[in-house]
Amino acid sequence: MTPTGPSIALIDVDKSYAEGGRTHAVLTGASLTIAPGERVAVLGPSGSGKSTLLNLVSGIDLPDAGTVRVDDIDLGGLDERSRTQFRRDRVGFVFQFFNLIPTLTVRENLALPLELKGEDPGDRIGELLAQVGLADRADSFPDRLSGGEQQRVAVARALVHRPGLILADEPTGNLDVDTGGVVVDLLERLVADAGATLVVVTHSASLAERMDRTVRVDRGQLVST
Amino acid sequence: MRLLTRSSVRYWLGHRLQTALSILGVALGVAVVLSIDMAIDASREGFRISAETVAGRATHTLTRASGDVPDRWLGVVRRDLGVRLSAPIVEGYARSDLVSGRTLRVLGVDPLSEGPFRSYLASAVNDRGMGRFVSDPFAVYVSSVLADGAGLTVGSDLPVTAAGRSWILTVAGIIDPIDDLQRSGLADVLLMDIAGAQDLLGSVGVLTRIDLRLDDGVEPTLDRAIAAGLLTADASLDPIGTRSETLSGMIGAFDVNLTALSLLALVFGMFLIYNAVTFSVVQRRSLFGRLRAVGVTRGEVVRLILREAAVVGVVGALVGIGLGVLLSRGLVGMVSRTINDLYFAVSVRGVEVDPLLLLKAASLGVGATLVAALPPALEAGGANPRLAALRSEIEVRARQWVPRIAAGGLGAAALGGLVLTVPTRSLIVSFTGLFLIITGLALATPGGTLVVVRLARPALTALLGVEGTMAARGVGASLSRTGPAIAALVVAVSVTVGLGVMIDSFRGSLTRWLDGTLQADIYVSLPGATPSRAAGTLWPSIVEDFTAHPAVVGHSTYRGQRRVEGGDVYDLVALDLDPRGEAAFAFLPGSEPDALSRFRAGDAVIVSEPYAYRRGLDVGASVRISGEHAGVDVPIAGVFRDYGSEQGTVMMGRVLYDRLHSDRGITSLGLFLVQGADSEAVVTELLRSVPEDRSVIVRTNDTLRSASLEVFERTFRVTAVLRLLAFIVAFVGVLGALAALQLERGRELGLLRATGMTPGQLWRGVVAQTGLLGLAAGVLSIPMGLALSWVMVYVVNKRSFGWTLDMRVAPDILLQAVVLAVVAAVLAGLGPARTMAKTRPAVALRGE
Repeated sequence: MTPTGPSIALIDVDKSYAEGGRTHAVLTGASLTIAPGERVAVLGPSGSGKSTLLNLVSGIDLPDAGTVRVDDIDLGGLDERSRTQFRRDRVGFVFQFFNLIPTLTVRENLALPLELKGEDPGDRIGELLAQVGLADRADSFPDRLSGGEQQRVAVARALVHRPGLILADEPTGNLDVDTGGVVVDLLERLVADAGATLVVVTHSASLAERMDRTVRVDRGQLVST
Repeated sequence: MRLLTRSSVRYWLGHRLQTALSILGVALGVAVVLSIDMAIDASREGFRISAETVAGRATHTLTRASGDVPDRWLGVVRRDLGVRLSAPIVEGYARSDLVSGRTLRVLGVDPLSEGPFRSYLASAVNDRGMGRFVSDPFAVYVSSVLADGAGLTVGSDLPVTAAGRSWILTVAGIIDPIDDLQRSGLADVLLMDIAGAQDLLGSVGVLTRIDLRLDDGVEPTLDRAIAAGLLTADASLDPIGTRSETLSGMIGAFDVNLTALSLLALVFGMFLIYNAVTFSVVQRRSLFGRLRAVGVTRGEVVRLILREAAVVGVVGALVGIGLGVLLSRGLVGMVSRTINDLYFAVSVRGVEVDPLLLLKAASLGVGATLVAALPPALEAGGANPRLAALRSEIEVRARQWVPRIAAGGLGAAALGGLVLTVPTRSLIVSFTGLFLIITGLALATPGGTLVVVRLARPALTALLGVEGTMAARGVGASLSRTGPAIAALVVAVSVTVGLGVMIDSFRGSLTRWLDGTLQADIYVSLPGATPSRAAGTLWPSIVEDFTAHPAVVGHSTYRGQRRVEGGDVYDLVALDLDPRGEAAFAFLPGSEPDALSRFRAGDAVIVSEPYAYRRGLDVGASVRISGEHAGVDVPIAGVFRDYGSEQGTVMMGRVLYDRLHSDRGITSLGLFLVQGADSEAVVTELLRSVPEDRSVIVRTNDTLRSASLEVFERTFRVTAVLRLLAFIVAFVGVLGALAALQLERGRELGLLRATGMTPGQLWRGVVAQTGLLGLAAGVLSIPMGLALSWVMVYVVNKRSFGWTLDMRVAPDILLQAVVLAVVAAVLAGLGPARTMAKTRPAVALRGE
């Protein structure tokens, strides 16, 4: 399928956090380019700045210096509301701890991004649930599902509104190997079908191997391997 | 339903206790505000309707400032002033055992003049009873409401006492009110022929007023008639309603004080809502983070929380309206009784549900809810998706904010103090200052809590070991959630302290004042319409007999009049003072040293502190006293302490009064007995000499003192009820917050159980933590309570009622406050402690 996902460019990005009165630099002059539809794994030790990278690309956080560009959009030039709108329209998130909305059913969790975009769900939710093998759990609440099932729902939710960019933060980090494998298969297949750009933060070498490219966060720099 | 809405509905349904407490918070606040509003409104309405019904279609009224109107003035009005449509009125009060506890309003009218004025009487003219009404001066018309209540029919006897005498009246006819207004206005009216009413009320030859109907609106001038000596100089022609409005205005300060107190309950309700909403936000912080990550905007999150709050507000307001209407039925009796005791006779037959009052209460409830929910809503909207799940970050931020909030709070309290120094008598300004102080100090409580906890930690550790340390640490670690709860408890307890100290100071000041004022051994008066105000005129024969009793060695006479002049109401007292009674006056600094001798000589008057304060007068200023022939300006020689009338009293020597008035009557009498006489025995002997058909109240010094204190206690009963309600609101808040806090710690406590903590240790730890919160609240409420009582004693009371109280702080009130707070907090912790101790660790761990 022709890639429909955006290109991503980080140019000389600095990012640091204040911690207990001290400043902890996470990224220093980091640069990275990702092509449309490319699937990139981000590796690195805990606390190296992998999740920070996702937060910057999604507009959740802004860099202290440098530029983050998704297609032609400079995220640093957007106000808070526009960045939220950008996420709503163009980004799908998969988190390590699933982060489903506990007070909404599986179907409703999937419907939420569509509702936020003002789109009619039509058959989309049913189709996606069938694809992730959870058609029969549509009306269950998340706490009734196993970890693997919850992550499959999270994957479906990340893709339901057809975003061009999928960001996954250790999607298998909380799952056993087999279940993690199932989730990654699913993620790969659905992302490929959508032609989306995928950035996966992971500690798993096997997951990284399945991506087009691997980027390592090393002392504040992003190094392609 | 939109998914976000659905999500929040499910959240609140899943947290029923929290939802119920929030709704209860609004409901109780709304109920208290509404019930007080309704009770005061009902009393005002009762007074207004009764005044309007009695006034009928009269447009003006002719009265005399110095007392009753001679009945020959009617001729002057008709002949010399040319007002054809005029009707003489004699008005007064009576009581009957058939309707005990109610004051009946005697309305003496001239049936032949009534046609253009009171339609209900005009319609009765065709009635068969009218013959009896005209021929028998003691025949009365009553409304069907009174007849039904007292079991009266036409021809029934109606025994009454009026102006100290017993009478048997006969029911000549029954008036069927044509509408609700008339039903209410005539409910306690006895309509009599004017001659009978004059006999009954002991006002032979005089009228209370003359009603006029000036359809063209042109008021005749009285000057020529006064100049010709046909009317006295103190005659006054006023539009109808002026007098009743002035009287009704007397309860203004009472109204504002009760309303302010009821608003305090709403403020507590706001704490409760703030608490519940904050809690819901804290609990859902990670959820909001997820929502923000998937593209929900800040505004949408804020609106979501505010929508939730609005629903809680509306439901709470509806429940509150129901509760308030119920509560008002209980409060109206207390409020109208106080008005009867202290201000004027009013008969309240029921509480009308006024849609405007309901709307006002509901708007206040919903508005307060939204205001209370706004800070947590903004906080939720600002939730950074990246940090949303980090509880430590919330607590770190909360603790960072503590000093800033405390500083802001102290600033607000200081601003409140500044507002109080504004030289004004406006109660709105005073209560704004007071509320600023309360809110400011409440904001400083989380900081204060940390200090108290730090101080208590070593003792707690020594006492309970590791549970004690953990309990102390836990308070600081959960300040974002415990802060509002503690603040609510501190405010509630400090208001309890503040009101307690204020009431106690008032009681102390009143007791000392009564001890000083009541110098005579025996007091004699007629039974009046209101228990605390002597009225009527004692029979001269009784005065002679009593003062001639062998045990009586001296006496003071007292003539009291309530004067309504222009928009002013005050009590005028003419005193013939026995030298033994001189110690009765406690003069304020600045009074002339020879004030009493000048007062005796009729060269000057002395005025009460409220009189001087309300009118901005001081020693040396003059007061204008209307006399029959002319008004005189008399200098003020002294200002004395007085808690008898908040409107103020002007006291003059009898010499001066007699110079200005032809009235020689005496309202009450103070008798000084020979040393060693038995007051009780003398009272019995004096009463024995009173003819059987007359009744006089003869009381010993002690009895009058107790009766006065009883009125005082009754006056503060409403306050006590409000104080209790306010405390219940706060207690419910603390209960909810602490219970939710402990239940939220389920996983942590489960972990502690899993690592070997026994149920008993867990129980002790939880109770120690909530007890510590209670202790902090109790300790912090003492300075705050004292600050509040200082403001209430020296600012609010002075500005409301014009008198100065001596502040008295009883240690037991402070001790009670601490005990109350600790007990409330421990009670709040008991339930969750028990639940958590009983829960199996596995279940608790899975609960998350």
